[in-house]
Amino acid sequence: MRAKRVQTQPPAAPGVHPRRWWSFRPVSDRQAGDAIVSNFLLHWFPAKSFKASMAWSYSFWLGTISAALLFLLVLSGLPLLFLYIPSVERAYASVKDIEYVITFGSWIRAVHRVSAHLMVAAVFLHLVRVFLTGAYKNGVGQGQRRQWNWVLGVAMLLLTLFLSFTGYLLPWDQLAFWAVTVGTNIASSVPFIGPAVRELLIGGREIEQATLIRFYVLHVLFLPMAIGMLFAYHMWRVRKDGGLARTDSARLAEEKAEAPPSKSKTYTLLGIARGTAPQIRTSTLEARDTTVNSVPDLTRRIAIVILGTIAAVGILAVFVRSPLEEPANPLITPNPAKAPWYFLWLQEIVTDTTVRIGSFTVNGAFLGGVLLPGVLLALMTLWPWLDRSPAGAAGLWFAQSRRRQNVVFLILVAAVLILTVIGTFLRGPYWHFYWPWQPWPELPSRI
Amino acid sequence: MAKDRREFLVRLGIGSGVAALGAQTVASMRSLVPNVSYDAPTTVKLGMPNDFPDGLQFLPDERLYVVREGKTFHAISAVCTHLGCTVRAEALAKVETQTIDGPPLRLTHRFLCPCHGSKYNGDGTNVSGPAPKPLTWYHLSVAPEDGQLVVDLARPVDRDFRLTVA
Repeated sequence: MRAKRVQTQPPAAPGVHPRRWWSFRPVSDRQAGDAIVSNFLLHWFPAKSFKASMAWSYSFWLGTISAALLFLLVLSGLPLLFLYIPSVERAYASVKDIEYVITFGSWIRAVHRVSAHLMVAAVFLHLVRVFLTGAYKNGVGQGQRRQWNWVLGVAMLLLTLFLSFTGYLLPWDQLAFWAVTVGTNIASSVPFIGPAVRELLIGGREIEQATLIRFYVLHVLFLPMAIGMLFAYHMWRVRKDGGLARTDSARLAEEKAEAPPSKSKTYTLLGIARGTAPQIRTSTLEARDTTVNSVPDLTRRIAIVILGTIAAVGILAVFVRSPLEEPANPLITPNPAKAPWYFLWLQEIVTDTTVRIGSFTVNGAFLGGVLLPGVLLALMTLWPWLDRSPAGAAGLWFAQSRRRQNVVFLILVAAVLILTVIGTFLRGPYWHFYWPWQPWPELPSRI
Repeated sequence: MAKDRREFLVRLGIGSGVAALGAQTVASMRSLVPNVSYDAPTTVKLGMPNDFPDGLQFLPDERLYVVREGKTFHAISAVCTHLGCTVRAEALAKVETQTIDGPPLRLTHRFLCPCHGSKYNGDGTNVSGPAPKPLTWYHLSVAPEDGQLVVDLARPVDRDFRLTVA
């Protein structure tokens, strides 16, 4: 029955697709391929997908979840764009209105905030997954440049953090004001150029209207644009690199098994590509038992992940209220003044890294706030070029040949997580250390 | 000859395109650097000297502590030297007298930073936490026209500075 409904005519000429429409439930390989070729949204997928790449336990679909969260952030940001007023006199009141007056306002704001928090977590976990599977490594395909996709990913993690940072300034409450004070003072601790950078960032010497409008424009225009472009580039590179690194590890495993040689093609997984497209042997990847048609197998999973993310955020946003602290008050610093959780490890580091050598003092703001994260970031960015493990380690969880670097990486990740936990749960007034069962002393909230 | 002219025109086109884009970029970036500062003035009248209580007085608008000991005054910034949060004063259990620079000081408070836990003595010396240097002392004077105390927030002074009001 259904087969009859989606029946196609033979093509009138080569390269001309007979059907104006396409099916999510194709009955033949040809129809599955047509869905990719004739649909704009599906066009970025290959016609065939490698089964093992789609396994839930290989990637945990963290990249797709991040993308879904970004999509939700744009979507929930649109109504907020109409409701929020970027002026120091009115910003706080407009956010208060969104929270307490506007129908569904608090839910939309919660969706935006929950998605933002989850996106920081998802992007970070995605990076951890890619590192632990060595997925930034090139495998056997020609023209692979996975290391550059890793660099794009690191850039997008930074953009995600910067988007969060610019976003939580906007309510112009105490959290906002003091986070920006501390954040821009970290920038200003850089020798020589620091103060000028801070002045450019905040549009003057004090955090005022000029600062708010700068962060606002960055938050709603430049940073989303940048992350959108990098995201497109990221996806394009995944295709150019012949799919996930899992594909390469499967290919290598088969080579070891010494399968009889067969002809190779420059397309299949990629669709048709010229020049330096990865050469992938047809036998491995077009074999019926290792690949599936992207429509509907890949699209179905993507739909599950995206809709699942949307549903989870939508429900969470009902129960999680977005806080709004007291209006920004340059005169009083809250005690303790804490950054959001994903910056608390940095707050912890800048607290502990002021170094005194004799009479010479290096401010922790520079050492812990700029130098140390800078070195970590540079190392992380360059790691694909420093990693000398064999190509066989690409796309494998905890590959034997990458054990030492995986352990070091996990230790660093654990350190960041531990510092985050200390900052979140174990720091009280004046940034003193308190165990969870120790009560905080009664201190006046104002001086 | 004809080829030279064509090449020249192509280069002229590309060159003027780059120049135009460059100029617009420079103009856009320059427009973001303010020419006029609407920041609060750095010289501020604080009130009549006799209205200050003996000991410590916090002035939130200037983020400043003014200390009075009889007829002498000095002013310590409340801006933490680590990352710019406003430090809070905590009264000491018993008053200490210390000589750091200049005449001995009666210290009634110490200063604590809520952001990263820096601690300062009552004279602004950093004693623990990440603060890299002492709290700034600012210049105080008496306005000739009405006798009010005036602080110059753009003029840091050494810690032997005292203003004696007659």
